[in-house]
Amino acid sequence: MKVNRILTIAAAAGALILGAGVTHVAAQQPIKVGVIFPTKTLNGKVGVQGAELAVDMINASGGVLGRKLQLVIYDTNYSPVEGVAAVQRLIDQDGVKFVTGELGSAVALAVLPITEAEKVVFVASGPKHPDVTKESNKFAVRLNSTTAMDAGFFDKYLKARAGNGKVAIISENNDFGQLTVTGFKKLFGDQVVFADFFAMNQADFNAIVANAKSSGAEMVCIASSNVEQWGNILRLMETTGFTPREKCLMPGLLNLGGIKVAGKAAEGLFSADIYYPGIENDLNSKFREAFEKKHNQAPEKIEALGFEGVWVIAQAIAKAGSDKDTAKIAEIIKTGSWSTPRGTVTFDGKGQASSGELLPIAVKDGKLILAPK
Amino acid sequence: MDLFLQQLINGVAVGMGYALVALGLTLIFGVMHLINFAHGEFFMLGALVTVIATVFLGIPYGFAIPIVILSMFAVGWVVDRVAVRPFLIKADGATTALLSTFAISLLIHSGVLGVWGPAPERVEGVPGVLRLGPLHITNQNLLLILFGLALIVGFELVLRRSIFGKRMRAVAQSSYGALVTGINVGGVQSATFIMATVLAGIAGALVVPVILFTPAMGQNVVINAFVIVVLGGMGSIWGAVICGILLGVLEALTSIVLSQQVASILIYGLMLVTLLVRPNGLLARGSTR
Repeated sequence: MKVNRILTIAAAAGALILGAGVTHVAAQQPIKVGVIFPTKTLNGKVGVQGAELAVDMINASGGVLGRKLQLVIYDTNYSPVEGVAAVQRLIDQDGVKFVTGELGSAVALAVLPITEAEKVVFVASGPKHPDVTKESNKFAVRLNSTTAMDAGFFDKYLKARAGNGKVAIISENNDFGQLTVTGFKKLFGDQVVFADFFAMNQADFNAIVANAKSSGAEMVCIASSNVEQWGNILRLMETTGFTPREKCLMPGLLNLGGIKVAGKAAEGLFSADIYYPGIENDLNSKFREAFEKKHNQAPEKIEALGFEGVWVIAQAIAKAGSDKDTAKIAEIIKTGSWSTPRGTVTFDGKGQASSGELLPIAVKDGKLILAPK
Repeated sequence: MDLFLQQLINGVAVGMGYALVALGLTLIFGVMHLINFAHGEFFMLGALVTVIATVFLGIPYGFAIPIVILSMFAVGWVVDRVAVRPFLIKADGATTALLSTFAISLLIHSGVLGVWGPAPERVEGVPGVLRLGPLHITNQNLLLILFGLALIVGFELVLRRSIFGKRMRAVAQSSYGALVTGINVGGVQSATFIMATVLAGIAGALVVPVILFTPAMGQNVVINAFVIVVLGGMGSIWGAVICGILLGVLEALTSIVLSQQVASILIYGLMLVTLLVRPNGLLARGSTR
């Protein structure tokens, strides 16, 4: 009997110690955040770099609720099929409840039903399609601006710079390009003397540039998300003596990678964006310095959006006091006001982020500068 | 008229790039009866060697081309030894070798992507533009056309006038017959594979200053090369050259009146019609056989 009592006490004590240990281990388990990007592309790669930097900075300052943040990164290859597979793996295999990233609208639209059904918070980084955010989806928000938001600011700006001159547009052939060209034609009407599309994998632009040149356009706009493509078009324009009065890149596309490709042909190019590295605020200074230290180059929009996705999720978890209730965290994200490198970001009822008007930017001496409005 | 002539010049330059890539592809098919899925990656590797030589080692562009030739010779030799020859000597080996070249293609692409990353890289080729009144051609495109023509003519001379060329044609006609007459069929096939690899590499080196280097450039170009080989006739050297240049010219000229995307639809439609009407290709008679 005495032996039994001793054994019972020993077992209880053991259970208590073990239980405490398990609780301690659980408390120390990292909070996983899934990151999806087309990682084999330049834009996808830098998006991941932004997300990783957010984790570095958050973990360096003690993590979230005393726990480290951990990224689980998968490649979507710009493919809805691979995007869906990546998100399913994140949820089923990795036990992730928060996902951020992606640039392509097709991928985002494909994964949204899954994240919504599984009550997983999805903070989309780059997609521009209007249907990515909906009032009915409580779990999804989008950080990038939409084409309509861009147009709200940029159309006026573009009109002012074009004056009454002839205009041309050269665009990539996808949903973004089609929407852009339709809007461009609507904006300029008879002033449009040339509009053509090129394939997303096209490498030679001699023919399209020669056609644009022969149109006599005084302003040429390019809608292309691939730096190698728009950089090469600009380079070819200069080489072949096609020097229109104004050159523009549609909003959200101008970055240093393309400027490097285009070289001096990028001089004078103008655009607009939600972020540019020179924004003055404390967080952006820290972000820019840390990014430059780690990658030897200034961060740009995609890097900032990659950062922002993880940053907002982490702040929302901290505000919720737990990572368990994803519906509550999604609600906090949507209704909150968030300090990010581009300034204060808020979301509308659909989950669309905004940080105010776009910033007009231009290329001068090979660098991005804020252009006068 | 100016625009027509300008687009004709543009089309010839683009077409010459196509022709050089398709030439190696059709050569391998003609002599080895093998569809080489890795050919586009050899084109990309040629461009990558040019980038490394010019951008990172500071070697002048002109000197980079011999380096490309030597490097691609080595690449061709290794791939032939590892992924082609061991399969081709077996019965029904061409099918297995086709799959092994596909594996090599993925290996090279993923390897470059993993080590190099997805960032594009710009190469300064031959600077300047030649202007003829309202028309112009960049000196790099001029080099591409002239160097390409010289390569094609030189290759034709080797094929028609040299002992090695005769052996190649013999193997293309019948590897069994060639073996019976004492020709080292394996050796000829290996040499052909290496030669085609070098050709693809040179094409990459000539085209990269025009289109920039990206790890995906090989995958993009090989689709057009396959179209050209089918149109020109599988194994037809002149078919590849003529159809390559024609494709470039057709793309450029149709873009004057049609969207570039519509022009592409026409070209792939032409491929389908060719397969239906002349399954052996438009110029199948001028093959290596």
